[in-house]
Order: sequence, then C-alpha cells, then structure tokens
Amino acid sequence: MKRVLSVLVVLMLVLSVSAIAMAETVEEALQAAASMSNEELYEKAKEEIAAGGQVNFYSTTSFAEKAASNFMNDYPELNGKVVYAEIDDGETYTILPSTIGSGVKDAVDMALIQNGPDLKTYLLDEGLSYSYFPEAMKDVVDEHNQEPPVITFINSLLIYHNGNGSINLNNIWQLTEPEWNGKVFFKDPTKETVNLNFLMMLTSPEWSDRLAKAYEDFYGTPFQSKEFKNAGYAWIDGFLKNVNYTYTSASKIATGIASGNPGNLGLFVFSKLRKVDEADRGNLTVVQFENEVDGFSGFMYPVYATVAYDTECPYTCALFINYLLTEAGFGGEKSWNSNQGYYSPNKTILKPEDLEDEPYEYWSTRLVFEDLDYIDENYADAYEFIAVRVG
Amino acid sequence: MTQLKYRIKAFFGKPSNILLVVFLVTLVVLSLIPLITMLSNMFTIHLGTEKKLYRMEVGSYTLKHFQRLFAGDDWSRVNFWTPLINSFIVACGSGVLGIVIGGTVAWFITRSDLKCKSFISSVFVFPYMMPAWTLALFWTNMFQNSKVGGGNIGMVESVFGICMPEWFVYGIFPMIIVIGLHYSPFAYLLIGGILKNMDATLEESATILKASRWTIIKRITVPIVLPAILSTFLLIFSSGFSSYTVPVFLGSAVKMFTLSTKMRALIQAGYQGQGYIIAFISIVLGCLILGINQWFTGKRKSFTTVTGKSGQVSLVKLRGANWPLSVIMIIFTVFFAIVPLVSFALESIIKQPGNYALSNMTLDFWVGTEGSTYETGMISGILLNPTMWSALGRQVLLALVVAMIVGTSGMLIGYACVQRRGTKLSQAVESLAFFPYLMPAMSFGTIYLAVATSQNFKFLYGTFAILVLVASVKFLPFASRSGVNSMLQIAPEIEESAIIFGTPWVTRMTRILFPIQKSSILSGYLLPVMSVMREVALFTLLVPYARYLLTTMLFSFNETGYSQYGSAVTLLIIVVIIIINNLTNKLTGASFDKGIGG
Repeated sequence: MKRVLSVLVVLMLVLSVSAIAMAETVEEALQAAASMSNEELYEKAKEEIAAGGQVNFYSTTSFAEKAASNFMNDYPELNGKVVYAEIDDGETYTILPSTIGSGVKDAVDMALIQNGPDLKTYLLDEGLSYSYFPEAMKDVVDEHNQEPPVITFINSLLIYHNGNGSINLNNIWQLTEPEWNGKVFFKDPTKETVNLNFLMMLTSPEWSDRLAKAYEDFYGTPFQSKEFKNAGYAWIDGFLKNVNYTYTSASKIATGIASGNPGNLGLFVFSKLRKVDEADRGNLTVVQFENEVDGFSGFMYPVYATVAYDTECPYTCALFINYLLTEAGFGGEKSWNSNQGYYSPNKTILKPEDLEDEPYEYWSTRLVFEDLDYIDENYADAYEFIAVRVG
Repeated sequence: MTQLKYRIKAFFGKPSNILLVVFLVTLVVLSLIPLITMLSNMFTIHLGTEKKLYRMEVGSYTLKHFQRLFAGDDWSRVNFWTPLINSFIVACGSGVLGIVIGGTVAWFITRSDLKCKSFISSVFVFPYMMPAWTLALFWTNMFQNSKVGGGNIGMVESVFGICMPEWFVYGIFPMIIVIGLHYSPFAYLLIGGILKNMDATLEESATILKASRWTIIKRITVPIVLPAILSTFLLIFSSGFSSYTVPVFLGSAVKMFTLSTKMRALIQAGYQGQGYIIAFISIVLGCLILGINQWFTGKRKSFTTVTGKSGQVSLVKLRGANWPLSVIMIIFTVFFAIVPLVSFALESIIKQPGNYALSNMTLDFWVGTEGSTYETGMISGILLNPTMWSALGRQVLLALVVAMIVGTSGMLIGYACVQRRGTKLSQAVESLAFFPYLMPAMSFGTIYLAVATSQNFKFLYGTFAILVLVASVKFLPFASRSGVNSMLQIAPEIEESAIIFGTPWVTRMTRILFPIQKSSILSGYLLPVMSVMREVALFTLLVPYARYLLTTMLFSFNETGYSQYGSAVTLLIIVVIIIINNLTNKLTGASFDKGIGG
C-alpha cells in the first residue's frame, strides 16, 4: 500500500512539474491570441472565467466603464467579470508597478492608460506588462499605433471666451506676448503628464523647427537665441510666463473660461466641453474652427492598452482589446465616438457627422503628438526646464 | 539571576510597564519600519527618471538626490527653498491663528457668562468636520471675482458688488485663514478641556489677593493652559506644514507652492529620492518642535488641575459687553460654520456655476436617474447611487473601527506615560505615539503602499485592513496627546487612595480615572472619527479605486470639476459626522463639543 502511495505521489509531482513547465505564459498566450478570431477568443475567455478568472481593468478615461458594460452585453457569458476601476493619471505609475506581479488579490489585469513614455519606462521595459495587437486590425490601424496599441486619441485644443469677439489668434507666438499674461489657462504640467509631454515635444528638432518658422512669420526675423537651446524652449519660456493655473482640472478650465472673463483662452481637453452648461456653451470658440494657427492648434495624446504579465485571463483581455478597436466597442452607446475629442486609431471608424468635430487625419497635421522615444531620451533636461518655470 | 527574575517580575507587576512595553514594540514596528523605508529611499536610485538621469542601477546607493536638491541653483530654489519658506509661513500663521481663535472661543465658553454658549459651542466645531479643502473651495466660491483668476464671479461680488484683491482670494493669506479656521475647533477642544477642568480656587485665591483680571489670565490661566497651547500649536503647525489639498486649491492660481505640493510633484515626475528628502525634512522640523514641547513640559513636570478638591468654576461677568460680544461671536461662527453648508447646499443644486436663479436649479445631482440631462460621471444622483452608499458605509465603518483602536490606545498610552513619567520608556512611547503625526499623510500612504505590495505583506493590499492599520497609526497622536494631557491633570493621590483600598487596576481605570476625565478621553475617541471621515491624502494610494471611500470619491469630484456632486458629498459627510456626534451624545452623554461647555 505504501509503495502504491509513493508511486502515486511521485507521479503527481512529475505531472505538476510538467504542467508548470508546459503552462503557457501570458506573453505566449497574447501572441497566440493575436491570430485568433473573436469566436475562438470568446471560447478561451469562457474557459478562463470558468476557472475563476476575472479581468480587473484600470482606466484613466471614464468612458471605458460604459465600453466594458457594452462588451459584457455582447459577450454575455463574461457578464460581471470585466471589472472597471478608475485611476488618476498622477497615480497610475505609482500603483501599477507596485501591484503588478505582487500577487495581491484583485490586482490589475489590464489597463487603459495615458502617458506613453512612462508606460514604456515603468511597465513595458521592466517586463511588467505586455502590448497586444490583433493581426486582423493591422490593415486598418497605422503601424506606429500598434506597439503599444492605441485605443483612443484625445486632443487638447486652444479654446477661448468669445464675449469680446474674435481674439484673432493665428500665430502661436502671440501667446508668449505680455498682453496674454494671466489670461491663458493650462493645467500645471508638473501635475498633468500629458501636458508635460506636449511641452517636451516642442523641444524636439521637428517641432522647434516649426516654431522657428512660425517665429519668423510672426516677428519678421529669423529665430536666434543664446539663452535658449532652440525655438521650442523659447516658446515654452514665454508661454509659461503667461499661464494662469487657477483651475486644477480640464473640466474646471472649460467651465471656468465659459463663465469667466471674455477674452480668456485655455489649452484643454476638447471633450470637456460636454461638462459646460448649455447656457454657457455658446461663449466658447475653438480657435482651429475659426482659422488656421501658424505653429499648432493644440496637442493630441493616445490612451494605450496594456496587459499585466501575471494576468490569469490573457485571452479575455485580448478579446476586450479587439472589441475596443471595433465600431461596437469604440462607437457603442454613450461611448467615446459619440463625443467630441475622441478618435479611434481604426481608420474605418468615423466621427458622427452631426458632431462639431473633425476626423483624426484633420488633426494629425495641426496638433503636437507624443514621441515616446524622444521624450524618453530627453525627459530630465526638458522636465527641469519646465518645472523651474512653473515655479 | 534570582534578583534579575524578581526585578523583571516587579517591573511587569505594574500594569503601566506592561502597557509601555506592548506599545513600544507595536509602535516600533508600525512607525519605524515605514521611516526606515523612507530613509533608504532618500539614498537609492528608483526606476524611471532617476535611473535614466544618473545612469545607475535601480536600488544602488547615491547622494545625488541631496546634491541636486540643495545645489542652490534655480532647481533647488523652486523645488525646495521657496516652498520651504511658504510652508513655514503657512504652518506658523495657521498655528497662531488656530490658537488665537480656538483659545478665545474656549475661554469665552468655559470662563465667561457669554450668551448662546450652547449654539456657539456646537456650531463652532463644524469647520473641523469638513475636509480642509472644502473650506478652501468655499473661500474661492465666496471671494473669487472678475478682477482675479479666470474672472468667475463669487457670492460676495454677486451680492455686494465688492471685488477682493488677489492676495485675499489666492495665496498665503487665504491658506493661513482656511487652515487656521479648520484647526481652530481643535484648539478650542484641547484648550477648552483644560480650562473647564481647571481648579477654580487658583483664580479665586488670586481674586481675593486683589489681582487684576489681566494678571490672573497672564499669571494663572495662561501658564496652566500653556502645555495644551504648545501641543495644539505643534499639531496645527504639522498639519499646516504638510497640508496638500489646501495649497492645491488656493496656491496654484498665483504659483504659490508649498513643500507638500512639490513633494507630490517630484515623486510623480520620477524624482522620488528628492521627494522623500522633502518628506524627511518636514519630519525633522516637526521633531524639533516636538523637542521644544517636550523640553517645556518636562521642565514644568505636570499640570495637575483635577485634584478632587474643588470643581466650582466662577464665570467672568462680561456685563455690558456680553451681548455685543455674543453677537460678534455668533456672526463669526455662522459665517465660517453655517454659511459654507448653505453654500454647499446651493452649489449642489445649480446647473450653471454662479447663477443662483431658481430656473437654474435642479435636484438631479441628488436624486437624478440615468436619463437625467445633467447626469455627468455618475449613473445617477448621489442618493440613488449604490457606489456612493458603499463608499459611505466603508468610510463610517473605518472611522468607527479606527476610533475604537485609537481612542483606547490613546487612553492607555496616556495613563502609562503619566504613571511612568520621566522614565526613558515612557518618553520613548510618548514620542513614538506622536511620531506618525509628523510624517506627511501623502508620504505615509506611499510608504505603506510599498510595504503592502512587498512579498511578505501582499495580502494587505487593497483591503480594508490596510486602511484601518494606516489610519490607526496616523491618528494615534491625537488620542495619545489627549490621553497624556487628561491624565496629567489627575492628581496621583486619587488613584493611590484606590490602590490602598486594594482596588484592581481595571476597576480603577473604569470606575475612577475614566469617569473623572470622561470628556477629554471621549474626545480622544471622537477626534479620530472626524479625522477619518475627512481624510483623503492618506488613503488615496491605498484604496483599490477612487470611489472606494467617500472622501477619495469627493476629492476626485472636486479635482476633476464635478463641483455639484462634490458639494453634495461634502454635505453628506458633515451630516454623518453630526449624526455620529449626536448618537455618541445620546449614548454616553458626551459629545465632540459638549465636554468643554456649551
């Protein structure tokens, strides 16, 4: 009897070790998932859920909650198993690196987060999370938006209170002039990383050249400076001198400008216009809808999807990301596409015609975009330059 | 060997020694481990910016964070020296203001025949029940005007057409006012508790000896309440110094930053080492003040005011000044305690900010449903929202659990420290119990996050238990101070008499010491309730999601601009605190304010 038991124990140990050795890693599962159909993924997801899995996903954008709800309606056997939690931009890269891999209960399985450079530095480069992108979508999403995968773009635009008529802003250097002192509203870039990334991008060769050209157009002389490295730094210096930080969020900037002094201008998230009361909405004008601006009209930043390396539900995460990249996920009821200021990287998803907005392609030539590698390499220099000027 | 055994037995034969040893071990684990974690973070390279900037391995040791922060260039001026000066001014100003206002009100309530005491006493504590930043929001709602900030019109300009200058609306001045007012009820409670229990014969003797009223106040009243004043100043100073939310709402507009806002910004930007140095410096400053306080109280040994000889308090007759003073006091109290509530109530029902017309009002933010036009960010108005009720339930439960732990610990620490006053063990426990207060809540939360996500303690992360743990340690100083202060007032002869009669320790505590100082000890239970009910910085990193607790939900609303929901939740928090206060009053006869007069 003892001998039989011993054999059984050894056999079980061997089987367990083999099972562990053969277990698919999350990275392998995501690679496999990339070439699967949604039906196949759904089957795999059902297995994960049946095994007790649950997808805890964090997001900086509140529309993700509705998207998850729509997703579970379309895939009813996953109902209640995709759990949304809101996360603040400033806390994202404190919480996620601490919790992923710690094995804590209900830790994050996937996240929809902004600030690509930090995503790269804190999660992807450290192997704490993986990017996943479905092969079926490769033709409809530009290559540079696939790794890490972009779920939505969000833009921040120059918007002003039109109570005194047009402000005639047609060159971005106007905002560095003393007449704008205290009248430009922008969220403190040391507290809002996407604002910081935007300013950092202006120091890049591409954007400093564009700013140098705009400078010449505006002042009539070529940009020359011994004080600043390039035109980008000079613009940031002049702009930050004029910025007023009264409002602590994009929503407050939108509502504050709409009900504040005529002539005030903000550079804030376009989609926040939905927070402005209808009675005040008419007070606001988007500069770009009035005229072209030499330089740029604002900036655009992506929200990325990333999957934790220790998730127990890689296939469910993959299916959810697939869903978010489709019309059903991005354009479903009360989701991103029905609002101004959100743009899918999937080029087949168009903005509704009745919305006062323009497609992604329109904005792509007028707004400043993040370049992960540039910010990653120049972060400290640019951050210190900006932080000293914020005060 | 036998002698040592007997000495140990004799040592542990005294309940106060057992208590001191138990608390010493617990507090070393819960306070010093986080501190050591923080200290090591000041000298190590972290993932991200620091790794890239210094091209060093994560975890390697360096002094570069110190070099950078104290270099004396623009970077250190902007990130350290200027915020340090600002924090110091705010902390000192609010400490002095809090004591002046709280002490004055306490004196009038306990030592004079002022009219409407009950009303003033119960309403005066309201600002302490509100999260401090909501008072900051009230201030801007009142005084913002077309000449400052974004030109949004506040109530004062709307009603009176008066535009206050920028320094009045934003910057150091309103920060001092708001923090000072927020903590003045705290000064009122601590100083008032001492004044109420003070032996009246001291003043009566001085009166018989023909001392003037001013001489009595200067030579008798003030020296007796001085330890409480110093303790209160220390607590308000530390709170003001590490205040994060008030500077965010009142300083940003005029680019006025404090050390805590810079600490958060540096940590967020990946300069963790420099952020933790700032946290450490605020702790060192707090320790310096604690040292001064210890030196002072040590010099005077104790301030016995409850001797069992006289309980009669003779009230100062205000005579002709009574009504004018009462009216001034009522107006002042109403403006800072009732008007904010009215303002929050109004803000929670208006659709368009600044427009108080009836046509602009709606109850959708309270009882709206999903179909509601003004549904923003929530699936329904807060009263119909299950998320809000869950958050409220957790917050109340947390407050009660923490109050039980902290209140009981504070009383026992107070008893043990006073019994063994002058010993190193007693000093160590008293200092350790106070120590967490000197750590900024934000960094305290960050350190506990690091501990809770480490391999050995991962079972704690995202749980209710970690919130209980962190809040119990953080708010212990309130209760331990209250415990020490109240036990210091009791003459040792009272317990000694009971010991002679062979009364067991538990009976002495529950039948003699506790009843004598019931009001002070119960304030040790109630203060943590208030603190937990309005705390956000401590919990923000430890809650699994922003809407887990009511305060983290509220801060998220206020920061992101859901002002109507924010105002509604603020009102709700105050109502809950008032209910808890009244329930305590009904059940125990004590209340947050009643212990000292009213």
